[in-house]
Amino acid sequence: MDLFLQALINGILLGGFYALMGMGQNIIFGVMKIVNFCHGEMLMVGMYLTFLLYTFVGIDPYLALPLVALMMFGLGALIQHTLITPSLKTKSFTNLLFLTVGLGLLLSNGALVLFGSDYKSIRTSYSQTTLQLGLVSIALPKLISFCVLIVVTIVLFIFLKNTTTGKQIRAVSQNPVGAEVCGINVKRIYLLTYGLGIALAGMAGCLLTQFYSIFPTAGAGFGFRALIVVVVGGLGSIPGAFFAGILLGLLEQMSALFISPSYSDMIVFITFIVILVARQLIIMRRR
Amino acid sequence: MKKLLGILLSVLMAGTMLTACGTSTSEGEPAGGSTSTETTTETTEASSDPIKIGTIYAMSGDKAAIGENILRGIDFAVAEINAKGGVNGRMLEVVRGDHAGDAATGKSEAERLITQEHVDVMMGCHMSTVTEVVAQVCQQYGVPMITAISTLDKLSDADHAQYDYFFRLCPLNSIYVKDMLEYLKDSSEQTGEEIKTVAIFTDKAAIGQELIRCVNLFADEYGIEVLGDPIDYSSGAADLSAQILALKQLNPDAILCDSYVNDAILFVNTLKEQNYQPKMIVAKANGFTDPSFTTSLGSAANGVASVVEFNNDLTNGKEINEDFKAEYGVDMNGHSAESYTVVWLFKSAIEAAGSTDGEAVKKALSELVIDGSFAGGRNIVLPYSKIKFEAEYDLAGEKHYRDNTSASVAIAQVQNGEWKTVWPFEFASAKIEYPAPLQ
Repeated sequence: MDLFLQALINGILLGGFYALMGMGQNIIFGVMKIVNFCHGEMLMVGMYLTFLLYTFVGIDPYLALPLVALMMFGLGALIQHTLITPSLKTKSFTNLLFLTVGLGLLLSNGALVLFGSDYKSIRTSYSQTTLQLGLVSIALPKLISFCVLIVVTIVLFIFLKNTTTGKQIRAVSQNPVGAEVCGINVKRIYLLTYGLGIALAGMAGCLLTQFYSIFPTAGAGFGFRALIVVVVGGLGSIPGAFFAGILLGLLEQMSALFISPSYSDMIVFITFIVILVARQLIIMRRR
Repeated sequence: MKKLLGILLSVLMAGTMLTACGTSTSEGEPAGGSTSTETTTETTEASSDPIKIGTIYAMSGDKAAIGENILRGIDFAVAEINAKGGVNGRMLEVVRGDHAGDAATGKSEAERLITQEHVDVMMGCHMSTVTEVVAQVCQQYGVPMITAISTLDKLSDADHAQYDYFFRLCPLNSIYVKDMLEYLKDSSEQTGEEIKTVAIFTDKAAIGQELIRCVNLFADEYGIEVLGDPIDYSSGAADLSAQILALKQLNPDAILCDSYVNDAILFVNTLKEQNYQPKMIVAKANGFTDPSFTTSLGSAANGVASVVEFNNDLTNGKEINEDFKAEYGVDMNGHSAESYTVVWLFKSAIEAAGSTDGEAVKKALSELVIDGSFAGGRNIVLPYSKIKFEAEYDLAGEKHYRDNTSASVAIAQVQNGEWKTVWPFEFASAKIEYPAPLQ
């Protein structure tokens, strides 16, 4: 029983992190209809930024969170402005695909050159802290990242629902041409959206430094899971990403507990494929 | 705008290619580029000519750092021997080949060293696949070869019985695991608790399969029960909490593991996070002995034990480590200690043979017995006290040839954030900490 509870908690906390990763990917995908293949690498950039701020400026990783988010927003906006916007005009999906994949390679190889291949970590007084709640133990950094996720989800939800900019983003996501006709500056919205997506990846990276090592390919495994979250959670849906992330985390933990840890990856990907196929069938039926 | 995009894209592409090439530009270098010496071809050898030791290690590519450590050990031994007057009055000279991590390159380098540089003996390589092809070339030309660090079992199995110019100093892979089990058995002397059950935690990749195979090979012999299926994960795991829970469920007396470094770090962190304190963890080196492991975990890794080929506090290695560190500024590691030893083995064999004739040196090597220390040199600096290449012996039901059967590894444990040798007891500098504190 205690193992089950522990696995449940692990799944929710881990899933929360996947959700946070997926959230950024989801916003970009939902609005711009492009798959950001360098999302995992952006996570890694966020980790190194946090690492640099901690070692050279001495800023605590959690205090650095808004700073990293802001810097990553800038980076995202810059990439959008200089690379993606011109590419969008070509209306070619492959062009953008190669662009983001290439960007990912550039970033991870760049990190390799700048920081070397060794594994870095940020050790703070609380990074090793675990809370004992009855039968289960919870790592404090994971709990904090989960709380950040909840805040981010709520803020994003309200932002998209109630603010003018949020409404503009939704308008662009539904119909960019129509939105442009109505006088919305689509370019500006794209800039905001991509920046926001990258900022979320950066925040996830910042939180991740407290329970994962920092190395040039650290983002790879997480980036892929962010994609699953987007697909399962539905395009552009913030609550969808939230629940899809947690579902993914739970699925990993529960399949490991009840079947075997060896198969948990496989089960996750089979489920992913099943969902993809099922959704396709449903869409076909509707037509 | 289009122009700008074009420029940016090309910068991006160039950048990616540059970084990708950063590790591989010199890999394709032709054979001549990496030699340290230039010699004219000579057919007759005068007694004052140097004795040439050919080495084939990675000096470029992503394994270059490993090659560097090995070559340091070789250079260190050569300098020692030459300072004492050389071998039979002749100086030693190292002729370096670079296999750049590739078997085909290794083969052509071996041929170049033998036919153009006329090396008398050969050392290599780092990767067992390269060692195998180099051994074939050496056999063909009758050049004696010792591998200092290739641990793959099959290099000395029945299929390789006819390669009688090839000798191996280091322990075999399966001996690494056998020594881990030996350690579990011996540890009760200090801990007072017998280890009866183990669980295996490892990578799904080849290193993990090797660990599982070897543990199953010897578990019965040591009366150790392996609990459940091995708990495994894919390299570069995002999360290991499910695996830790599975281990917790099995509740073994000891965990045997083999992981790459990021997984090893995550493993130890997750143990703490899931509130699981295994009493004993023994790793098969790899990521656990990577410098990043102790620097990023610090005292959180206290109590984790691992196989090591050499450690700076080994009772018979302390002295050489100080001299080595004074010379190179870094600690000697297993690779440098083993390759250091091989140079001394060649010296002893050539002295015994009285010449550098391949056949004679081969015969001398097969008869060589080093007991405790080298004549005119140091004690054996590795965690064993005898070196002899056994012509033929049995290991777990299979015949093996020309391995140093006395070779063993040591076990070190992280204590106060540093590796301390705890086994074999006669070479140890510290007592086993039990149960592992992990803090």
